[in-house]
Amino acid sequence: MQPINKMRTEFLSKSANESFARVVAASFAAQADPSIEVVADIRTAVSEAVTNAIIHGYGEEEGTVVLTCVLYPDFVEITVEDFGKGIEDVEKAKTPLFTTRPDLERSGMGFTVMETFMDSLEIESRVGQGTRIRMTKELKSR
Amino acid sequence: MDVRFSREGNSLVVMMEGELDHHTASRVRERIDNKFLMEPVKNLILDLSRVTFMDSAGIGLILGRMNRVTLIGGKMLIRKPKPEIQRILRMSRIEELIELDA
Repeated sequence: MQPINKMRTEFLSKSANESFARVVAASFAAQADPSIEVVADIRTAVSEAVTNAIIHGYGEEEGTVVLTCVLYPDFVEITVEDFGKGIEDVEKAKTPLFTTRPDLERSGMGFTVMETFMDSLEIESRVGQGTRIRMTKELKSR
Repeated sequence: MDVRFSREGNSLVVMMEGELDHHTASRVRERIDNKFLMEPVKNLILDLSRVTFMDSAGIGLILGRMNRVTLIGGKMLIRKPKPEIQRILRMSRIEELIELDA
């Protein structure tokens, strides 16, 4: 399928960029005139993915997070990529309430939120190389 | 995120305003915990009526505060979350643990 539009942005793994990333993704999707609920879902899912990259991908180190949004006629595809530690056990990471960082009061709900709020979720991860999260959301116009 | 405190009898009321994510949660958490320790209160009311965004960092913050309040025999109440915030609260099943005043 031929994309209608595409954007790509990269930023440092600083927590201040969590709000930047979700605003950028939501603004990009807005050109398809989706419902308020769809925009809210995208905002939340992107926030989760970017937070994961910052906390779990890089932790104390600083690295680059890449956000890519591709618009198709009926849906938007959003990819969040980091080049950090990677996830050892993706299935375990997806388990609701599982977290490796209880010290940060992480609820362990990040992937559950992404799965619930988006229409598809794919996680590709290699230990020592990084993680790539690809999500899609149907864009029913108002 | 802006946080303001008031008291209603035995309860500390926390009015939160703005976006609650991982970036803002740590400072908010610290402020609530400090205030809760200083005030002669038992219960905690989180007023979410002015929270415009919340992700799972907010769930972590709410559950963490609930654990602290329950530890001293107090109760927690969530007040007036917007519809989009209600959605994530429902998804996380916080509603089954904490009283919600819509």
